[in-house]
Amino acid sequence: MIPGVALGLLALLALTVPVGIVLFLLGFGIDALVSPFPLSRGLGQVLWSSSSSATLIAIPFFVLLGELLVRGGTAARTYAALDRWFSWLPGGLVHANIGTATMFSATSGSSVATAATVATVAMPQAERLGYDPRLFSGSIAAGGTLGILIPPSINLIVYGFLTETSIPRLFLAGLVPGLLMALGFMLVTGIVCHLRPALGGPSRRFTTRERLASLRDLLPVIALFTVVIGSIYAGIATPTESAAIGVAMAFAIAALAGGVSRAMLVGSLLGTVRITSMIMLVILGAYFLNFALASAGLGRELTELLTGFALSPLGTLLLVVALYIVLGFFIETLSLMVATIPITVPIVAALGFDTVWFGVLMIVLVEMALITPPVGLNLYVVQGARKDGSLGEVMVGAMPYTLVMLAMVAALIAFPGLALWLPDTL
Amino acid sequence: MDPLRAADALARANRAVAVALGVLLVATALFVIADVAARALGRSLGGSDELSGYAMAIVTSWGLGFALGELAHVRIDLVRRRVAAPARVALDLLALGATAAVAAVIAWRAWAVLAKSLERGSRANTPLETPLWIPQTLWWAGLLWFAIVACACLALAAALLARGDRAGLERVAGTEALPGEAPPDGAARDAGRTR
Repeated sequence: MIPGVALGLLALLALTVPVGIVLFLLGFGIDALVSPFPLSRGLGQVLWSSSSSATLIAIPFFVLLGELLVRGGTAARTYAALDRWFSWLPGGLVHANIGTATMFSATSGSSVATAATVATVAMPQAERLGYDPRLFSGSIAAGGTLGILIPPSINLIVYGFLTETSIPRLFLAGLVPGLLMALGFMLVTGIVCHLRPALGGPSRRFTTRERLASLRDLLPVIALFTVVIGSIYAGIATPTESAAIGVAMAFAIAALAGGVSRAMLVGSLLGTVRITSMIMLVILGAYFLNFALASAGLGRELTELLTGFALSPLGTLLLVVALYIVLGFFIETLSLMVATIPITVPIVAALGFDTVWFGVLMIVLVEMALITPPVGLNLYVVQGARKDGSLGEVMVGAMPYTLVMLAMVAALIAFPGLALWLPDTL
Repeated sequence: MDPLRAADALARANRAVAVALGVLLVATALFVIADVAARALGRSLGGSDELSGYAMAIVTSWGLGFALGELAHVRIDLVRRRVAAPARVALDLLALGATAAVAAVIAWRAWAVLAKSLERGSRANTPLETPLWIPQTLWWAGLLWFAIVACACLALAAALLARGDRAGLERVAGTEALPGEAPPDGAARDAGRTR
């Protein structure tokens, strides 16, 4: 039965049936072939109770927050400021790419949005200053993936929602690994550019006065992060409430900078509804499939299948990790998470692993999926912001950064405290 | 009626729906903020969780049709990119057909939820005691709209196929060009898209 579900999933996906629709079809299939009682009668109730959720409305709020910041011009000013601080390092502006991506990750819950934002403001500079396009574009694709690891994170909200794990804890757990990965990206950039200076670009120096003056442009983003994440941990607001406050702040920031217009607002709203609906179809499908799998008693069968190899808990975990790396080459990020969470999380939890920790591990794995060809959404997004050159250049440029991600996966398995220390301490 | 003009009309209707949903989201955010502020002052407006849940259900159900019209629902086009044009058309019609069928089943099954609330006069188990038929009617209407949009797109795609209009077909049933990726029929697609 399990191989049947897996095969059906892959076949329908290959036929380009929309991912959310595929999940519904599999649910119907299980209902017709396996379940002793008709599950589809519960479909309406499942859809109503899963979509009328005050938790999930944080998703459109965080999407809207990001849209307002990007369309209001905050991204361009942040980039210019980080250029002043980081461009003396070997690799020059590449570090500003990573820095900007990290800061935007702290206000945006999406990797694609983060990569698109940084690519839009950074790419013209690469051409003007004569950077090698490979490492430059690769660093944006990789840096952008931090969007779903550093809080807030739409993917962590979805994970928390589907697995009933505390979202504030998940957010905190993502912070340290996210910052470490940003440092790892910068370290790799420095090493690569030290060995092969031609891959970077000119290091540039700015005066202390210029640097201090630029700090003013970083303030809006820092303030936004502090309020959004701070209000959650101060116990003042739920993730949804802090997201709503963040929307108001992002609007104020854009308005103060003179970036608000009717067209900008309508564009932000349409973009928000579009992305939210795209995400929600997949979530609803996954929720129904979840319900069908559980009702048909397939959860136990799955656990038996994976534990049937008689591997140690660690061995089984590594098998799951390998599964994500392989599937990540072919399946888009959120779809990958949502389609597999009902299967992998119960198994991992049964083996005694912490679900908050596993959430962070899964995020790092799907970040890798974002920059590994042939299906790596961030690669396409960065390529889309370039005027010329091939997609292959972005793929090659992103490769060194996948090493950092693999190292982080290993580090998280060896030292779960990297993720769990912060939520356990606060 | 000309299928392309019908597609334009559908896109305009969907856009109006999406703007309304965006305004609903903003209104919900303001209400949530007001509730946080009131709580800080030791009071509570109450019900912000419940009402934002209803808002999310409405945004979700009505947004599905809008996203479908915008070709925004995620499709894995690994195979699609590598096959000849006739096979691509077949895949597009299959995908749209599957979407229309699932959307119709969803609207049908969801009706049972609304019908039960109407029949029993169910109220939410909350201090507001919201009569559930109110949010559920708005929610169900969105799911019905999703089914209507999906069936309309399928009908339009069939009409365009009959006329041999590849570009129009791409616009109604194709995949959104990933940014930077050369679309299969670049010029034709650009001509067929209004965005």
